[in-house]
Amino acid sequence: MLDRPLILHGELEYLGPGKLGKRVDTPYKEQTTITDSSASVQRGDGAPRLFSLAQAPELEGFLRGFSALLGGDAATLQRDFQLSASGSQAHWQLQLKPRDERLARRIRAIEVDGTRDTPRCFRTHEADGDLGVLLVDTLADTKLTTRPSPAQLDALCRGVDAK
Amino acid sequence: MRTRRSVLIVLALWLLALVALATFAIQHLHISTDLRSFMPPPQTADQKLLMDQIGEGPGSRLLLLAIDGAPEPTLAELSHGLADALRQDARFEQIVNGVFDPAALDDQLLPYRYLLSPTLDTHALDASFLGEQLQQRVEDLASPAAALLKPLLARDPTLEVLALAERWSPPKAPATRDGVWFSSGGAALLLAETRGAGFDPAAQGAAIDALEAAFRRLPNADKASLTLSGPGYFTVLINAKTRGEADRIGAVSTIGFILLLLLAYRSVPSLLLAGLPVVSGGLAGIAALALGFGSAHGITLAFGFTLLGVAQEYPIRLLSHRRAGEDALTSVRALWPLLATAIASAAIAYLAFFASGVGGLQQLAVFTIAGLVVAGLSTRYLLPRVLPARFRDVAATPGLAAATRFIDRVPRPRWLPWLLLIVSLLALWRAPGPLWQNDLAALTPVPQDLLLRDAKLRGELGAPDVRYLLVLQAADADGVLALSEALTPPLDALVKQGSLDAVELPSRYLPSLATQRARQAKLPGRAVLATALADASRELPFRSDLFTPFLDDVEAARKLPPLDAAQFARSPFGARLGSMLVQRDDGWLGLATLSGVHDADALADFTATTQGQARLLDLKGASESLVVAYRERILRALGLALILLAVTVVVALRSLRRAWHVLAPMSLATLLVLVVERGSGISLSLFHLVALTLAAGLGLHYALFFERPVADAAEARRTLHATLVCVISALLVFGLQAWSSLPVLRAIGLTVALGVGFHFCLSILMARGRRSAGIDD
Repeated sequence: MLDRPLILHGELEYLGPGKLGKRVDTPYKEQTTITDSSASVQRGDGAPRLFSLAQAPELEGFLRGFSALLGGDAATLQRDFQLSASGSQAHWQLQLKPRDERLARRIRAIEVDGTRDTPRCFRTHEADGDLGVLLVDTLADTKLTTRPSPAQLDALCRGVDAK
Repeated sequence: MRTRRSVLIVLALWLLALVALATFAIQHLHISTDLRSFMPPPQTADQKLLMDQIGEGPGSRLLLLAIDGAPEPTLAELSHGLADALRQDARFEQIVNGVFDPAALDDQLLPYRYLLSPTLDTHALDASFLGEQLQQRVEDLASPAAALLKPLLARDPTLEVLALAERWSPPKAPATRDGVWFSSGGAALLLAETRGAGFDPAAQGAAIDALEAAFRRLPNADKASLTLSGPGYFTVLINAKTRGEADRIGAVSTIGFILLLLLAYRSVPSLLLAGLPVVSGGLAGIAALALGFGSAHGITLAFGFTLLGVAQEYPIRLLSHRRAGEDALTSVRALWPLLATAIASAAIAYLAFFASGVGGLQQLAVFTIAGLVVAGLSTRYLLPRVLPARFRDVAATPGLAAATRFIDRVPRPRWLPWLLLIVSLLALWRAPGPLWQNDLAALTPVPQDLLLRDAKLRGELGAPDVRYLLVLQAADADGVLALSEALTPPLDALVKQGSLDAVELPSRYLPSLATQRARQAKLPGRAVLATALADASRELPFRSDLFTPFLDDVEAARKLPPLDAAQFARSPFGARLGSMLVQRDDGWLGLATLSGVHDADALADFTATTQGQARLLDLKGASESLVVAYRERILRALGLALILLAVTVVVALRSLRRAWHVLAPMSLATLLVLVVERGSGISLSLFHLVALTLAAGLGLHYALFFERPVADAAEARRTLHATLVCVISALLVFGLQAWSSLPVLRAIGLTVALGVGFHFCLSILMARGRRSAGIDD
């Protein structure tokens, strides 16, 4: 759909189990608040728009995974996803495949890369081939080219230099 | 002279005739349950529209559904499942549960979005508007809305489909959670529009059965409960309830009646034979309906058989008045003048029902008159020929002599009736509550709690106010749409000003042809649009060929013939519009529904400025005016019946003084029933009037027989015996009805039971009074 990726900068806030805040600072301003069942999106000075998470399952899956991961809730993670881990303490990768059929129709898998106790990169593989990448922590300030290739992103997430 | 053989022949012929009548009736009578035939005939244009709306209008075909009792995600799944199942069902026109599915706009209809959506009225499809829109789409793609918008984007970058979805959703839609409507109480809400008319119980029954079966087949359906409401549901419910209740009351009163007769006459053959006149009357009534109308209302039959209870008096009189050693034919000849008077006057009373002009009541009149006449004639000519020769003279019934003596000795002060009259008039004057019940709903036996639930669901669903309707009038359907567009700004101003919460105009769904053409003229050519699009997306990351489907659709929309009401009404989204446009002989009507009307006067003032093109229809006002007009008719008819009745009695008795003794207790007793009912705050409905007439008919019997000069004390005892049997049986039948859960049966039962009591007591006091000293032994 897009011929170059959309690159946004902002803050991601973990607000406790099932709650997440996402603020976009550039290239435009947007504040998203996600709770268990709904998301509200406010752009500029406009009135917030409300979405049911059932309408945006990829977000729901991401939220559950992210929330459980940050909350250290292995049981919830196990219930919602098929987990497979690889790598080392310094560079680990966790792959989450949704168990819920409805969610799986939208999301193939979520890959999380991290070092030690910090996740740094979330990649959401949507079923239609689109890829959403969320770089956090130390990676958040990475300077990206206007069109980073999947290989570059992969290298970035794994913490190796892509040449 | 009377041989066993001739008895058997008469009996066999009689039974054969009954079988023939029954066969004819079963083959030719169609039982209908259209409640409208029990409503008054419409006179004014508003009343006609009201009756149409009640029967066939969109409101009456709407079923309101609520699913609750389980966690919300389960309820949402059930709502989705039920809607999907019913969309496959031919019995349903449409089903709405809050989900907007853009896929339902098929390829043929999709390009029309540029003609249907108001976007082009305020914006042009130029580089600046497209640029602004595309920038928003970029932001949408990174937001939670992405999943929703992705499938639409290439074809519809300005999201006209969503603009239409918003426009087409009910003006006051319930909250949407998990993609479906939810009430404030946490129940999933749906609206189902049936194809069958609201008051067609067969179609509604089939639709409701299919709906409930579809619900039960859904996974997890056992964990939740489905609640239905709406006119169609009420029709089915009342149908089943009326039948069930009439059957139950009928069964119990039949058993009571049999026991009473066994006790009174101690003869099984007499009892069986005494039933034949009423059976004959009932079958004759049904046959008369089959001949005269071809169909009968279920309520007609239920009421008719009840009213025919009067006819049971005829064989009872014959059995009670037969003196020892007397042939049954001789006794019946002696009784006949009085019986004939009673039958003639009752038949005349029911003629008043016929004059009411209401289908159901006319059927009732035909049924009852035919039934009474046939029951009377068979009591006169057939029953005496088959009754057993051996019988017991009831004059010898133990206790009867004492009862007669007691009644004879009851003090009968001449001033008592006058005192009763004065007290009654005073009580009527001071009685609480309105005298008349004008609310049509009070006549429709829908239990109050169901009506309340309906009102609540209606409010939650934002389903329109059932009271007010804005009627637009124009020469054709497009004229209605154009008028609707012209009225939109002033009506929006009224909404803003707080006169009402929302208005749903037909042009909300389909703009007039002129508006569509105006929008069409604003669509740019393909080359111009492609350039504008390229300009707009220069800075944006969209693939260059992504919007080809958009260019195709706009190009297609430029060449489309505008969509007319008939075409649109056939589309998946057209059902709502189709039901808002009504073709009449003299043009087209548009029915705009209103929600939350706070200031009807402001609305009426506004419609007054439209030179009759729009008017506010107050359905409640129209229905009440209908009831008032109807009551005036029935009161006139009853007045006429009363005069005819009085004349019949005077002529039959050939004495004004004797007629006074019959008519005075009857009139006073009727007044007393009114006093008791009004005194306990009951407002009178048409059914009370009907029941008062029936009670008066019974009272006439008592007065006539008590007033009759008798030869000896034994005959006086027989009269008392017959009257007691009649009074007790009437109290049994109507007393049971007074406990009915159906307001109509209750109104009739209470009124008749009270009436029978008063008529009996006053007949003793006033009709019998003058001979208290004369013939006593």
